[in-house]
Amino acid sequence: MNILISYEWLKDYVDLKESPEQFAARVSVSSVGVEKLYPQGEDLRGIVLGQIKTIDAHPDPKVTGLRIVSVDVGHKKHAAIVCGGSNLFVDSFVAVAVPGARVRWHGEGELVELQPTVIRGVQSDGMICAANEIGLFDAFPHAEKEILVLDDVIAEISNTGKKKRVIKPGLPLADVLGLSQDIVMDIEVTTNRPDAFSLVGLAREAATILQRPFLWKDRVLSDAAQTLPALSVSVKEKKICPRAMFIRVDGVKVGHSPWWLKRRLLSAGQRPINNLVDITNYVMLELGRPMHVFDADKLQGELTVRRAKDGESLEALDGKTYQLSDKHIVVADENGPQSIAGIMGGEHSAVTRDTTSVIFECATWDPVVIRRMSHDLNLTSDAQRLFEKGLSTESCPQGLARSIELCLQLAGGEVASRVTDECVEPYVAKKYTLSSDEASMLIGIPFKARDMAKTLTRLGFEVTAEGHTVQATVPWWRDHDIESGRDLVEEVARVYGYTNIKPQFPAGLATHALAADLRWERRLRDVVSGVGWTETYTYSFVPRSLFELSGFDPSRMLRVRNPLTADFEFMRTSLIPSLLQVVADNQERKPILHLFEIAHVYFGHAANELPTEQSQLTAMVMNPQNVWREAKGLAERVLSEMGFMKIEWKRLETDRLWHPGRCVQAFCGEKLLATVGELHPRLIESFKLNAPVAMVDIPLGTLVSSARATKPYRPIAAFPSVKRDVAFVISQERTVQEIVQVIRATSKLASQVEWFDTYRGEGVPADKKSLAFHLDFSTNDRTLEAQEVDAEMKKIEEALNTIFQAEMRV
Amino acid sequence: MLTDELQTLARRAEDAIQNTKSVKELDDLSIELLGRKGALTTALRGLASVSAEERPKIGALANEIKQKLETRIAVQRSQLAELGMAERLQQEREDVTEPGTLPVHGHLHLMTQAMNEITDIFARAGFTRMRFPEVEWDWYAFEALNMPKDHPARDDWETFFMEAPEHEQSGKMILTPHTTSGTARLLEAQELPIRVINIAKTYRRQIDMTHTPMFHQFDGVYVDRGVTVANLLGILDYFVKEFFGHDRKTRIRPYHFRFTEPSFEVDISCGVCAGTGFIGKDKCRTCKRGWLELGGAGMVHPNVLKAAKLDPKVYSAALFGFGVERTYMMKEGLTLGDIRLLYKNDVRFLEQF
Repeated sequence: MNILISYEWLKDYVDLKESPEQFAARVSVSSVGVEKLYPQGEDLRGIVLGQIKTIDAHPDPKVTGLRIVSVDVGHKKHAAIVCGGSNLFVDSFVAVAVPGARVRWHGEGELVELQPTVIRGVQSDGMICAANEIGLFDAFPHAEKEILVLDDVIAEISNTGKKKRVIKPGLPLADVLGLSQDIVMDIEVTTNRPDAFSLVGLAREAATILQRPFLWKDRVLSDAAQTLPALSVSVKEKKICPRAMFIRVDGVKVGHSPWWLKRRLLSAGQRPINNLVDITNYVMLELGRPMHVFDADKLQGELTVRRAKDGESLEALDGKTYQLSDKHIVVADENGPQSIAGIMGGEHSAVTRDTTSVIFECATWDPVVIRRMSHDLNLTSDAQRLFEKGLSTESCPQGLARSIELCLQLAGGEVASRVTDECVEPYVAKKYTLSSDEASMLIGIPFKARDMAKTLTRLGFEVTAEGHTVQATVPWWRDHDIESGRDLVEEVARVYGYTNIKPQFPAGLATHALAADLRWERRLRDVVSGVGWTETYTYSFVPRSLFELSGFDPSRMLRVRNPLTADFEFMRTSLIPSLLQVVADNQERKPILHLFEIAHVYFGHAANELPTEQSQLTAMVMNPQNVWREAKGLAERVLSEMGFMKIEWKRLETDRLWHPGRCVQAFCGEKLLATVGELHPRLIESFKLNAPVAMVDIPLGTLVSSARATKPYRPIAAFPSVKRDVAFVISQERTVQEIVQVIRATSKLASQVEWFDTYRGEGVPADKKSLAFHLDFSTNDRTLEAQEVDAEMKKIEEALNTIFQAEMRV
Repeated sequence: MLTDELQTLARRAEDAIQNTKSVKELDDLSIELLGRKGALTTALRGLASVSAEERPKIGALANEIKQKLETRIAVQRSQLAELGMAERLQQEREDVTEPGTLPVHGHLHLMTQAMNEITDIFARAGFTRMRFPEVEWDWYAFEALNMPKDHPARDDWETFFMEAPEHEQSGKMILTPHTTSGTARLLEAQELPIRVINIAKTYRRQIDMTHTPMFHQFDGVYVDRGVTVANLLGILDYFVKEFFGHDRKTRIRPYHFRFTEPSFEVDISCGVCAGTGFIGKDKCRTCKRGWLELGGAGMVHPNVLKAAKLDPKVYSAALFGFGVERTYMMKEGLTLGDIRLLYKNDVRFLEQF
């Protein structure tokens, strides 16, 4: 979570000598991350302070609403400006844009550069600005046609500060408003450090790291009010609200906050509302301590911290009405909820201009309850973001004391009740010990107990050191974050500076073996992509619709209980549906597609067991011609790469996914190696595919244990082989695999049997086909004689004739 | 007489040789002139009628002519051959700007390329790649990692939960949101020391320009006696230099994770502005003040070691976990703005890499 911090403001709490850049560079490596620096007042370049000297009517009597205003802008000659402002008064201080300044006309559209102009026949030397024209509307809200009058601001600036400042017309407005010296820092604070999500917390960090004086003094609640009447408060949910403090102040005067306070709120990105609301926001920024303030006159009866009742609702300060239930915690009076606990106040009891009595609330809430409420109501706020990180119960007195201090200073009034403090249990600070050896061993550089104690003390720990050991009492603002002695190591090491630690690469040998599935996945990715197939990565979860379209039954698959959308619902047991989708998505882009993926599939599980995650290789080709053979060839290539030599191919004709006449499975013994074939024409239609698609599906995970990366050497023939080409006319039902088996079984001298053609048509009876082979005959001790080969051929012919009634054609 | 005849023959032959246009023509002419039935042989048949004194002279002349013609033929042959080669080369001239015939080639997905590179870098440093379940028990993903029951990551809107009964000890079945669940398993196996890089698919309930519900992470873990932050820094520095370039710097900053203490954010110096934060006078748009956030790291929390029944007083462990997509997208020159493109599988995207 990020916070915007004014560097000038931060200097109220820590005596900084560094430039903002130096601060950012040093603090970022030891504490919070300073991500960006924004110089202030740059948008006000060319805007100067002016003082109105005379106001005259426009010379043209037909022009109404425009006056000629003479303004002192620091030069001898006053500027003559044509102005339509409704609130022009002599001697008023105003913001004057001189030609070259950038303004937003009537507060709308882009910034435009101001040019000298003639308005209705009169030369205008510049422009008297409205607040919305120079980006100051949030600081100085106004009605249409009202220009920005700075008299109150000038009076405040002249009378505050150590030295009386003389403010003269002509000064750049950014200087007058104190913006031009300032830099706003955008800082990332980690979620465990809500204490650093504040000016005081950041100042404490900076003071420790940069070794500068920390200037903040804790505020203490005065006992004086304890004689006053108590407020009627009851906390029903003490577990969720471990501490709640309330106090009433009567006779307050609600109005605008002074410029110094507005400026600080604006620097942090907060919009000033009125002095009372601004005080609560100011205390939140200063101390990281969210506050709430009620209009006391709008509350009736006892204030209760309780669960909302079903049917109750609250119009919150954002103008929206929230329906509440017993999941939600509220602060209620006898009429119902007045605020959503820890998140946002209600509109009804909000402080307005007419408010004269207020009740400040300062409480702590269970962080998980706040987070779930916020999510449930879809409502976030700065207060909620802090509460869901976890705040200490000890933060409450500070927040209340500071709020009262500022209230009395800025809105007057007097405390009208004693402090009501509903606290579950007395606070006990935690203590942890740390030895210098422990720190040194973990960080890799030597630490001394003395230095560790010094660092921890500066961070606010109470420390006692004994020998090599320090015992540290955790300050309340760190009580959610420091949980053990190990956490103290981090404090010591980060303040020392991680950049001061020299990297030491730990030399060593591998401790674990590379698993076979990882080894094979990588090798096969190279093989398959190397022969022209492109790899995809599809999501592991697949929508029900895609499974059903592909003919799978998702009911037996593992389902995500809370899918992001229906697109990510079932854990896939096959990559085929995902790849079919990819083919369908891409077919208009490219008519021929070769795609593959290697990923896990997830198979059913018994109780108390995780599903089996198995690596699967699936490849898919879309091509108007020859797809089936391309797929088969890829499978053969992959299986050969994996060292599977004895493969038996068996036709698969009973599956709904595959073309019954063009699907085959490879086995090695009982083990299924691959399924290869064309997609069933029905699915081609379902997916509206333009061309046939064939697939290879290999259960890689089950094969890797028997795959062989090292192939056995087979001696190269020492004597030339005798080659014969031959064809057999044979029944359509017979297969190449059967013929090859018979040839090999019949002739020991047939060293290679290679199919090269299947012919059907003229010259071959309709119920038959002609299968052509290259045969190689050889033996390893001599060159074969022609007569020997003739004898082998004769044996083969006879065998095939006897078994399959095949006829040989030479 | 015969002498004149021979001289004339020689002259004509020389002209004829000169006029041949091809090697073939020259070969034919050569046989015609010098062959067994050639002109010179035929002419010498008249030698019988020549007187005995003149015979050696004419014989010598004939030899001289023969040698001369042979030389001429050889010269002409080499000239013709050269001419023929030139002509052939001219004929075979190609427009060499026509594209070549591409060898068949497919494409590995960017994530495969990234994971291969990461695997190799760590393999060189003695870290073995491993992989652990994606569908995982709550115990390994959260409980054993010191994440309290009510931690936001364990909420329904951050993590995917499976429709499956809870395990008596290990709790709910989930899709692991980080590879650190694998690290928890690795620690539990107690095969020490451990130098492992664990890369796997991970899942979170988020989809936008920089998030996809499925993504990849790599967790590096080094466990032994006396492992220090300085060791962690050494490993990170090695990886950054190998992966991004030897001119890149690494730094760690305080951060917060439940399973490490201390925890760090790892930054690398920006390659676009060379870590200065500025390009000329303008702020660098790529980085934050000269640094880019790479991911998280830390020393494994004592509670995590204890959950794996390892004694934190004896063993310490350095750990880091980065997103593969994020890390790879930080490589210069890729300029891939939208992470979702990685999983759309548009061939026009896939075939670029």
